[in-house]
Amino acid sequence: MRRWLAVVFAVLGVAASVSGCGGPMTPDELSRSIQTLESTAAEGAMLAGDVADDRTKATFARVHARDMSDVVVHEAEKLNDAEADRANVAAAKTKAVDLADKIDAALGQIQVAPDDEPGARKAATQLDQLSKQAGDLSAGL
Amino acid sequence: MKGVLQIALGVIAAIGGFVDIGDLVFNSQAGASVGTPALWAVPVGVGGIMVFAEMSGRIVAVTKKPNFVLVKERYGTRLSTFTLVASLVLTGLTLAAELGGLGFILNYFFDVSVGFFVLVALIAIAAAIYVLPFGGIERVFGYMGLALLVFIASSINLDPDWGEVGRGFVPEAHGAAVYWYFIVGLIAAALMPYEIYFYSSGAVEEGWDPSDMTVNRANAFIGFGLGGLISVGILVTAAQLFKPAGISPTSIGSVALLAQQPYAELGLILALIGILFAVGGATIDTAFSAAYNLAQHQGWKWGKRFRLLDEPRFTLSLAGFLLLGFAIAQTGVDPVELTEYAVIFSIPVLPLTYLPILLVGNDRNVMGQYVNGPIARVFGWFYFGLICLLAIAAPILFLWTNGGS
Repeated sequence: MRRWLAVVFAVLGVAASVSGCGGPMTPDELSRSIQTLESTAAEGAMLAGDVADDRTKATFARVHARDMSDVVVHEAEKLNDAEADRANVAAAKTKAVDLADKIDAALGQIQVAPDDEPGARKAATQLDQLSKQAGDLSAGL
Repeated sequence: MKGVLQIALGVIAAIGGFVDIGDLVFNSQAGASVGTPALWAVPVGVGGIMVFAEMSGRIVAVTKKPNFVLVKERYGTRLSTFTLVASLVLTGLTLAAELGGLGFILNYFFDVSVGFFVLVALIAIAAAIYVLPFGGIERVFGYMGLALLVFIASSINLDPDWGEVGRGFVPEAHGAAVYWYFIVGLIAAALMPYEIYFYSSGAVEEGWDPSDMTVNRANAFIGFGLGGLISVGILVTAAQLFKPAGISPTSIGSVALLAQQPYAELGLILALIGILFAVGGATIDTAFSAAYNLAQHQGWKWGKRFRLLDEPRFTLSLAGFLLLGFAIAQTGVDPVELTEYAVIFSIPVLPLTYLPILLVGNDRNVMGQYVNGPIARVFGWFYFGLICLLAIAAPILFLWTNGGS
């Protein structure tokens, strides 16, 4: 029985270390988080482009923008709560939270007014730029 | 003429049962992350389900025994109980993911709340199970699931580099763990255990006998083959649209966007309808599979071919699994994440699911003239070896790549 418990704890230990549970945020973890922001902003730009060209259904655009916004907010919360003991990681983390706020605001435009074509075009441009900024931030880590 | 119609309907039903939320998610994520070099995993996975589905249908036609009866006969009490528990847990998780997915899809149409539409989906699925005959369920969901063909059209419309697409079907040596994570996931998504439980039990429901061998082959090869083509369409489209933009799809809405890009609102609506019915069909398949497995393991009377009130234990377990799936989906768990876990952690159960089929299919004493021929034998053992390899690799790759991220 004791041997079984030892095996179980060893497996859990390896799993925890591989998946990166606990401790301050590593550049890898931060990079993954920023890549989520980059991906969501790029997808938001794609959706906003379709809204601007009247190529989508308003309810779909609203709900999907809201879903993406939830992803961004969740990521921002994770970033905010994470500890960063290295200066470059802490600085990038602050920038990432700021980017998340801006992405959320641009997605909010589609969510609130999924039939506002000029507004959507502006949001598409913003989201495209924010995605590129997130990509640069992630690459710099 | 009746035979041709039966084959056509079976093929349509096979599409409806094959492309589920796991296929949709893994194919779009693999296309977005790895691109067309991951394509070869689709025919490998589809080949596996074809081989084992054909074998299990043939076994039912000869012996009238579905998959879980074989599990019980071949494994004895302890191992068969373990297989039952593992299959019920994974099928239950898949059922919850499918029901949750239905909630999301319906909410894209009407924007009320996902939780409300999960309830609507539960009621609609329960009504379909109660009202429609077995063949009717397969056909309604299969016909409507054909709207998924929009993904094949999308992949062609985007005019990819066809040389690159062709090269994607040739396996290549690759050092990246993420690449192998998606290869394993794509193969596993095609081989989900519930598909084979449902296929073999469905053959019993339809009363197959040796005269149905052609129907069985057509369903297994053409039906799953067409389902595989839809998977290829999704992967190629995601590789064209998402990969260059750095998009990693995180929801079913992302998958629908793939058809919206080339075909605007019409593409979006076709994609959502196709996904709705394919996932709806898979919800019914998973609920039945769980109830079939439990009833077959316990030796209860089972099947949609009887009146549900005449077999209270089967009916109660069917209702119970649907309610359990509903309860899990209502916790707000992300169906896409749940699907990823269900697909990856179903892999260690695959050898236990597929071994009895292979053993019985190879047994001349049981199968007589319908015993596996040399080709079925070779492919059967090849796929069984592959499944064992995947069973070891999948959990390691999942942890190593942090779920492919």
